[in-house]
Amino acid sequence: MRTIKHIIPLFIFLFFFNACTKDDIEGPLITDLYGSFSITDPFLLVNKTPDFSSGEFVKFNCGFNKPIDWKITIIGLQSSSTKEISGFSNLIDSNNVTWTGNTSQLPFFEEENCAVELTFLNESDTIRDTINIVGSKTYEDGILVADFENGLPSDALVSWTANIGLRTFDIENDDPLLGNSYFKMGGKVNWDWPIGKLDLKLNLSSVTVPAEEFYINIGILSDTTDIHTGQFINIIISESTLPFNDDLTPNQAGQQMADIFIASDEVYKMKIPVDWHGWRIVSFPYSDFEELSPGATGVIFNKNPNNITGIRIACQACPSAGLNPNCPENLDKIVRTDIDHIIFTENSALLD
Amino acid sequence: MNKSLNIILITLMIFSFSSVFKAQTSNETVWFNGLARSYFARDVLGNTIDTLYPRNSSNGYNLVDLNTHVNPIENIEIFAQLRVRNQFGSFFGSGTNIDVRQLRASGTINNKFNFSIGDIFLKQNRFTLYNYDEELSSFENDMFKPYRDIIHYENFYSDNRWRLQGLQTDFSLQFDRFIRSLEFDFFITRPRGSGQLSANTYSPDLLLSGGSMVSRITKKLSLEANYVNFFELPSSGNINISIKNPVYHSGLNYQYEINNVKLSHKLQTGFSERNWLFSNLDSGSDSSGFISKGMFFEFENEYFVKDSSFRLVLGARYVDPNFRSAGAQTRRIDFNNEYQNTVYPFHTNDYVARPSSVFDLLSDENRFNQELSGSLMNFNPIYSNILPYGNATPNRMGVYLSAKMNKNQILISNIKTAYFNEVIGQGTTEKRNFLLMAGDLKINIHEILEKSKEFSISFSYWNESTIRNSDDIDKINLNSSHINGFLNYEVSKKFYLQLGIKQINAIGNEFITQRNEYGVIQNFSLVNYDQSDYIYFTGLNYKMNKNIYANIQYNWWGENLNNLTSQNFNYRRLLFIFSVKL
Repeated sequence: MRTIKHIIPLFIFLFFFNACTKDDIEGPLITDLYGSFSITDPFLLVNKTPDFSSGEFVKFNCGFNKPIDWKITIIGLQSSSTKEISGFSNLIDSNNVTWTGNTSQLPFFEEENCAVELTFLNESDTIRDTINIVGSKTYEDGILVADFENGLPSDALVSWTANIGLRTFDIENDDPLLGNSYFKMGGKVNWDWPIGKLDLKLNLSSVTVPAEEFYINIGILSDTTDIHTGQFINIIISESTLPFNDDLTPNQAGQQMADIFIASDEVYKMKIPVDWHGWRIVSFPYSDFEELSPGATGVIFNKNPNNITGIRIACQACPSAGLNPNCPENLDKIVRTDIDHIIFTENSALLD
Repeated sequence: MNKSLNIILITLMIFSFSSVFKAQTSNETVWFNGLARSYFARDVLGNTIDTLYPRNSSNGYNLVDLNTHVNPIENIEIFAQLRVRNQFGSFFGSGTNIDVRQLRASGTINNKFNFSIGDIFLKQNRFTLYNYDEELSSFENDMFKPYRDIIHYENFYSDNRWRLQGLQTDFSLQFDRFIRSLEFDFFITRPRGSGQLSANTYSPDLLLSGGSMVSRITKKLSLEANYVNFFELPSSGNINISIKNPVYHSGLNYQYEINNVKLSHKLQTGFSERNWLFSNLDSGSDSSGFISKGMFFEFENEYFVKDSSFRLVLGARYVDPNFRSAGAQTRRIDFNNEYQNTVYPFHTNDYVARPSSVFDLLSDENRFNQELSGSLMNFNPIYSNILPYGNATPNRMGVYLSAKMNKNQILISNIKTAYFNEVIGQGTTEKRNFLLMAGDLKINIHEILEKSKEFSISFSYWNESTIRNSDDIDKINLNSSHINGFLNYEVSKKFYLQLGIKQINAIGNEFITQRNEYGVIQNFSLVNYDQSDYIYFTGLNYKMNKNIYANIQYNWWGENLNNLTSQNFNYRRLLFIFSVKL
């Protein structure tokens, strides 16, 4: 018992030595969260005339009396491009909330005036401001494969199905995604799947990221006016070590085609149904691609971006006539899968 | 992977056979035990409104866990648990998995030091390292034993221990003056290894280390001290953010006997600190942030009649709002919003994610957690609001009482009650008040009738009430009750007919806390409850011996949500389990 007399005071000492919490409450006040909303710091834009082409950006700052769902919407008054930035907090912190000139919805922003709106979930308050873009974002933070501004890249090979009824495999300037030119890719082949394709030679030996972190981004234009419901783009990526175009034998239409996309080699594919109107940028990590021929003898499928030697963009559509008329409703419909700005990016997709 | 597995398997088989051979020449150098289970479940839609889903679906598997114990010398044991699992519907080996489920070496050095390396099961104190039972499992009287057995076995829940991988050692010293004995236990484990998060980012190693010291000062008085530290090694990754959470505990236990009664008084206290270290590799300067420091205190008295006919526990506890202990506050079930149920994860023809019900918590082994968490995990207040993190629940202060009575094995009853309130308010200066009233009663009718065949009825009621008085929006009034009823009748020898009901009713409102990755409360979302979860079941249990049983049962289960935005659901299940402990 004598020992206990010494130990119990020690415990009591420990109890009081470890001071209890002095705070009155934990977390934000519920009466604020569910009470009336007010803005404590005004909505502030830092750099209202940004030159995104030289890496400038716009910062946003605003404070509220409680955490709330907020959304900043930027709309290009000329392009109608839209960018949305949202969050849940009681502060829009200019250190974290910035805009680099990218878009959430195509087309891209141009050199134009933009309307800026800050809105809040379940609150009627809306704060408005403007931004004047003096230089638009270039979207070249990546490995640009083709932008078609100066024609086709060197070594590019264009081919199409023989006896094609109507075809458009050319550089055009009427409605580019970026810059002044794009590659128009479409036509009409009622009796077969392939319409035509563009083969590009690549050297990505400097890439160090794994397939999960390596993205292909491509702008695709279509229209919904009498659309061919079975049209799609096939992207084929090859890690073949064969020469790009060693066999100079032309196809039936008389064009050259690359030799590295044969099914018996290390080749991957991605099918993209094209069923929208206007431009859209689609992005996929390389890891999402599947083997073109999984059972290929002697081929070890092990995606490695720096082994990529070429990419094929193939325009295809479900046949409406001939031996296998799988889509008779599309008879004589024109296929349109135009492309622009093919670019690889590391770690994230182009618009992320 | 398969190649590596094959090599391991072949090695172990060779090792086993050579050991068996040795077993014939020397005594007990290798021995086996394990578990085998056949499982089949057929789930059926209970309503005819949902047309997007199959009317019924079935799944099942056979598995064998073979535990190999090899004793190369007398005081050393090598243990390996191999699992062969075959999903029903697989064919000629496809769908068959072979895993090494546990590996451990253990033994004694010089008859003084015990050690274990590999998969180890650790428990310390209820405030430092303890794997608390999941909610809704109290007072069930083995009603859903087949389900619970699977959940606990598959998630390595054994005796409230956490399964970890590392090294553990213990030893004891005896003295002939001043104190009687000193016992020490130390461990270091790695709950998570460094991993690649993206191309250039790696998470650091997460370690849990600790030690215990128990001293019997006199025959009646003992003293214990525990320490546990949950921390990341910044240098083993490059994300520059690492957690550190040491917890210190000390306790004093005084126990004595008066006639046929054992009495004990236990006083314990301790404190914790948790922070995140933000390393700046460029400048070399580090800084700590989101620091939480808190303490706890508990005084508990126990009255225990030696023939086990009566036990009473009465205590008081204070746990600071900032007390953080990863080892004791990690929950078995995380109620985050992203979890998708295994059985019919969507319902209604709008393809809405189905909310979890009591049946999912009982039957879905995959939603249980095996990893320690550095921040408080989410809980559902209708299933446990008073002590969602067990005795280590932060921001609680109050008294508790529990009792157990056993009247000649005829009447067995438990009572549990507690009154707690918050130390500080959440989102308001007003504090929540909690009241728990719970009890169960099991009547062994065969004992009354003096029959040899078992016939028992049990009933339990668990009620939790949460009130926060206020005239404003922050007012809370939540009441949830949990009812179990179970009839177990031995129709013929070892062949039991079973009927059961489990129902949860909840009505009222509560504010669900939303915390960021550093555990800081950022928001409260108001939720109104008026719902009822239920499971009814009937089944047959053939209990060949205590290690072998076959159980077939039919369940009716669902949830009634009395609001306009959510739709009720109900389903049925036919379940068959054959379990053999080898």
